Amino acid sequence: MNYTIRRTMAIFQKDYKDMMKNLYVSTTIVLPLIMAAFYGRTGVDTVDGYFLVFNMTFSVVAAYIQASLIAEEKEKNTLRGLMLSPASTGEIMAGKSLLSFVSTVIILFISAIFMRFQPADPAIIVTALVISTFFYIALGTLLGLVTRSVMEASVAILPVLLFFSFAPFATVFMDEYPILKIAEYLPNLQLVELGAAVEAGGGFEDVWSNLLILISWTAALLVAVVVMYQKKMIDK
Amino acid sequence: MLKISNVEKNIQHAVVFPSINLELKLGETAAIHSSTNVRTVLLELLSASKPLSGGSIMINNEQVSASNKVYFNQAAFLFLNDGLYERLTIKEHLAFYQKLYGANETVEEILNLIQLNEKKRLRVSALTFSEKKRLLFARILFQKPKAVILEEPDQNVDLEAKKILSRLIRMLTDDNSCVLVLTGNMESALMVTKRVYRLDESGLHALEVTEEKEEETLKEQNEEIQQVQPVKFEKIPTKVNDKIILFNPPEIDYIESSEGQSNVHVKGQIYPCMFTLNDLEQRLIPFGFFRCHRSYIVNLQKVREVITWTRNSYSLILDEAGKSSIPLSKTKMTELKEMLGLK
Repeated sequence: MNYTIRRTMAIFQKDYKDMMKNLYVSTTIVLPLIMAAFYGRTGVDTVDGYFLVFNMTFSVVAAYIQASLIAEEKEKNTLRGLMLSPASTGEIMAGKSLLSFVSTVIILFISAIFMRFQPADPAIIVTALVISTFFYIALGTLLGLVTRSVMEASVAILPVLLFFSFAPFATVFMDEYPILKIAEYLPNLQLVELGAAVEAGGGFEDVWSNLLILISWTAALLVAVVVMYQKKMIDK
Repeated sequence: MLKISNVEKNIQHAVVFPSINLELKLGETAAIHSSTNVRTVLLELLSASKPLSGGSIMINNEQVSASNKVYFNQAAFLFLNDGLYERLTIKEHLAFYQKLYGANETVEEILNLIQLNEKKRLRVSALTFSEKKRLLFARILFQKPKAVILEEPDQNVDLEAKKILSRLIRMLTDDNSCVLVLTGNMESALMVTKRVYRLDESGLHALEVTEEKEEETLKEQNEEIQQVQPVKFEKIPTKVNDKIILFNPPEIDYIESSEGQSNVHVKGQIYPCMFTLNDLEQRLIPFGFFRCHRSYIVNLQKVREVITWTRNSYSLILDEAGKSSIPLSKTKMTELKEMLGLK
């Protein structure tokens, strides 16, 4: 167990140092911070506004970092060396996910301060945000497995970014086109709905269904990651 | 100990290599000289990325398999196209290897071994190709494996790196690891070991490597004779377009004369030769060639079958892919029988 932690941390530190020097990635992740600072100054204080920035952070930080970390290992032929080392696949993935997780939490926290976001019930909001982070890290892993280079990952993240950041605007058209009601079950809309309910003074009993949907999305995506991983490894 | 027993590989209809056996004890070094295709296939088998067609590969009694972590802890691979984390500094990179393998060696010790001490603060991307190769080799030093498998370790590297690598390989064998070098370059195979094999579709063959020192003493002995005798030229020149191609006599299957032009047949290819058949016969008799017909000279080593059609007509069937048949005249048949000791 001790060795497992040591190897996971070795991969985490290596990826951290590597990412800090990677201008591609480090400039992308400040994007939500700029957005948050802008919103904070112009006085946006609606739940939709806060969660637009949060959802953006998820796609740009959690999903993108994870995807580019995995894609780069494949692109630079370093993944094979890692796979042949004593580190197991679980340890490799844990090391990488840890970095995406920590960066996401930091960026979320700073943007919340920038926007002067004060949730009515921090415990629920934090739980929901953490579950969402896991969802987006799983999404990023999936993208990383499918793409072959950082370039490809950067392109593949764009539709994800647009879809998950701006899908909440679909609610405007929902009365007109009832088919869009399905979108309400998307994890990002669930998060916004949960945020709104908490702001309206709702407690845990009012939002458990939202949390449950978020957890099921995360679980489903994790299964997809495992299936995709096995498929890719057999292909090689 | 690395043990390859009865391993064979066929891809579709083609034999990549037939059943081969190789055993390397701890502290031994061997090199396998082969084509790129064969080398890639063998590496895939050794690193368990492709399943075996038959036989087994064992390192210290651990069977190769993608899920067998013990096998991979004891085996270290250096692939030709292995990559590095280009943005890390050399020191950071080595520190990563050290933690990953939980090694006892310090980063400083390894830095001294690969002689990159003065460059330790540089980024990996600033290194030359040869220096990167040395850094890649550092991974093996941290791992301390039982078996080391190197793919083209010194391809395209500079003299400095070659020296460092060959010293490190010797250090590994002194530490009781066995080293297997897979290469397409005979020179780099001979640089690390005298135990060289050739692997191709006909199997694994040990090459006889004579010690240079022995040759030197022999040379001294023969010096006087050599001064008198001119060096004997033993290649057969052929001409293709503007190029002159030289063949070793044993490579030649047979020579045929047609319309006054002698054609040398090598592995199904025809090369026109500027000598007459009579000249060639004089030159080639010492190499076991035989004038079997007015217009044919055959390499007797390559003859598989003698077919008697009628009392007066015979053919020789050669042992090569095309199974060419060559006429054998009646008078020559008696001569051949005498040579074979049949009469």
